[in-house]
Formats: sequence, structure tokens, C-alpha cells
Amino acid sequence: MTRWIRWSAPAALAISITAPAHAVQYLSIAQAQRQAFPGATFAEVQGGRVWKAESGGRLLGYFVFDRVIGKHLYIDYAVSVDPSGRIRRIDILEYRESYGGEVRSPSWLAQFVGKTAGSALAVGQDIRNISGATLSSEHITQGVKRVLAAYGGRGR
Amino acid sequence: MVAVGASAAASGLRGADLVRRARPLLGTFVEIAVAPCAVADAAIDAAFEAVARVHALMSFHDPQSDVSRLNRGGTSAVAVDAWTFDVLAAAAELQRRSGGLFNIAVAPVLQSLGLLPGSPGRAQPLEDAVELLPDRRVRLRRASARIDLGGIAKGFAVDRAVGALRERSVAVGLVNAGGDLYGFGPHAYTIDIRDPGDPAAVMSRIDVFNEALASTAGRVDPFCSRVVGDCAVIDPRHGEPVRTVRGASVRASSCMVADALTKIVMIAREDAGPILDHYGASALFVAETGEVCATADWQDAASRAH
Repeated sequence: MTRWIRWSAPAALAISITAPAHAVQYLSIAQAQRQAFPGATFAEVQGGRVWKAESGGRLLGYFVFDRVIGKHLYIDYAVSVDPSGRIRRIDILEYRESYGGEVRSPSWLAQFVGKTAGSALAVGQDIRNISGATLSSEHITQGVKRVLAAYGGRGR
Repeated sequence: MVAVGASAAASGLRGADLVRRARPLLGTFVEIAVAPCAVADAAIDAAFEAVARVHALMSFHDPQSDVSRLNRGGTSAVAVDAWTFDVLAAAAELQRRSGGLFNIAVAPVLQSLGLLPGSPGRAQPLEDAVELLPDRRVRLRRASARIDLGGIAKGFAVDRAVGALRERSVAVGLVNAGGDLYGFGPHAYTIDIRDPGDPAAVMSRIDVFNEALASTAGRVDPFCSRVVGDCAVIDPRHGEPVRTVRGASVRASSCMVADALTKIVMIAREDAGPILDHYGASALFVAETGEVCATADWQDAASRAH
């Protein structure tokens, strides 16, 4: 039978440890271009933002770099569209979040995570995977719609 | 508490050593990380394709999905993909074992709350909505029923992505779909768990070692505010969102099971013990009062890694 252990967490016991914001760079623009259109050559159509992907004089599609900026984070992403304006893929290039800056350590947490103190160190703090309330990607969806409205028809 | 910042000199797997990619899928951010190897990029692409395929099959929003075809199909039998059938079968078992607390027929309630699009139609009792038939066919028992696999499909997508990586002989990897995740390989992965009352803060930190971890709480749009929205977990006993629990996390051997069990823990709290036992799962939840409850074995799995 499952036994439950209960902690009450009085806020007065909480202390904070300041850590840097959580940021991950997944791909550079050049890496993302190569992955989206392998073997293609890229011609800049709009500085730092839109590239035409070609191979042997044939248009393969467009690569659009965009960024959505919020109050607490920004996300760099790229949309790759084929000549008919259809999305080939969407890649997150860089992701920055401000949460995780405060790691709370009330005394109950000490016993709570006691067994993992050593193991957490073995992994490396830079693997900061998070579970909890789901972050909505709605703003990326809106950004992609914007990108498609602006660039989706170029190849037609 | 874990000594933050003391890990730089530690040996073992480092985040910087992994090939990490992320894409927006399933309404959230899906991250896949694997140890560098010749097949890393191809395996990651295949894993994202598996997630996208689950999305296409099981989205409530996509009119072409199996779920939408089923919701439109009245009570006639609809042939569905093997993956959809597997998820429906697992959902039926979870429903049975939870005494009806896990219920995929809550879609009309979510619609009436504005959490899913469309009109909910007339109110109806939440019941065993789906009948599984031979040859991967399914039908709704009642034409007005509407199902939503949002409480289980994300975990299933994680499992299928892990399957795609393993099929390509990836030995070390982590798939994280907006906090529903699975990590495998010789090292444990340290996972921060958000405080469900304050998504900017980390409440707990645990190790995941060849297992899944899923969490449920209100939804956060980090572009607007840090305020956590209403949770989308409906207590089928009265058809309203759960308000006595802020959030729950479950670790289990499959992410699909972990994902679904978070909903049951949100609703049943301590009474979820027997079903957690059945699936070999452990859990933590945060009550509305701020009180934290965890099963006694919540951290045990971590110690196996060392």
C-alpha cells in the first residue's frame, strides 16, 4: 500500500539561491539552414532574416529567421517553407527563460531531495530540464502565421 | 538542498555534450537531446516525426485527426491508426482502474470552459464513451459524446519519440514535451519541477533514470504573465476543474501512463495510491493550501542510479 509523506511548506522557511536564467542554444542559423535544406546554397533575400535556398539553380524554398519576444523570455526560431509556401519544418534556435532563477530551499525540501544531492551533481547543472505547468507555444504559432503571411507566397 | 553551481567539476554527462534540438509541437515546446553519434541528427528527425504523427492523429483541433473523425462519426464505427487504438485502449484501462476518474469524454466540459474550441452541445453524463471493436475500429457509444486525448497523448508521443531514438540505436537520450519527459542511458537526468503556484520558481529537483516523469498544473503563457491559468483537469464526478490541488507530478516506466496518472492524482490525491501501485508509479502533488504530499518512494528511483 502506498504511503504518503506530507510536508507543509511555510513560506518563512524558504530561501532563494540566485542562478542564471535558463538559456539553450540549439542551432545557429547556418546549422539550421543546413538541416532544413541539406546541400543547398543560401542567398540572403532580406538581411539577417530571409534566405532563398537553391540547389543547382533550382529553388528549394525559403528559410526565415524570426524571434518572438515576451515579457520573460525570447525565442529565436526558423521557419523553412518549400516553393509552394508549405512549411517544411520549424526549428527552435535559441530559447531563454527567466524561471529557475530562484531555487527555493525550505527545510522540508532538504529531506525531500536529500537522496539526490550527489546525483544532481553528477549530471551537470547545465542540463536544466523542467517539468511542471506546460508552457504554451501559442506565440510561436502566431509568429509562424505572420511569417507565412509575409513569405509563404514567394515561391509561387 | 542541492548545491547549485557546484557541479561544474563533476564528471559524467553534461548538457553541453548532448545534441539538443527543439520544435514547437503538441501546443508546447518539444526538446530532444541525444549523445553525439553518427545517427544523432537522423534519429532526432525521426523522433520529431513520431511526435508530429501523434499530434496529427490525436489532435482535437485538427479536423483530419482520428480524434476529430471519431467525434464527428456519431455512433458508427471508425477505423483508426494502430497508435490511436493503443492510446484509446490504455485510456479505457486507466478509466476502469481509476473508477472513472480518468475520462477522455471530458471534452464538452473543456469546451464549455473555453479550453477547447467548439460548442459543447447539451450536458451529458461522463461515462465510458468509447467502444473498442476488432480490426482497430472504434465507435462512440453515444453520438453526442466528444473525446479529447489531451490527458494522455503527449505522454504517448514522448514514448514513441523514445522508441524512434532507440530503434536507431541511440543509447543516451531525453525527450521532453513541455515537461512530460523520458530519459534513458547510463546516467540520471536532473529535472527541476516548477512550483505550480509560481512557474518562475523551481520547487523540487529530482533525478530521472530510465523512466518517465510527467507533470500537470495550470497552463502558463510566458509571453503574457507568470500567472498560472486554470488547470484543464476535470473531475468527472461533478464536471468541474480540480481546484483543491495546484499541480501533480508522476514518475512511471512509461510517459503515457505517467501523463494520465497526473490527472488521477490531481483528482484523487492520496486515494490514487492503489492505481499508482498497480502501475509501479510514484507521485507528488501540491495542495491548494501549499501542502506538499509525495509517495514514500518518490525519490527512491533516483538512488538506483548511483
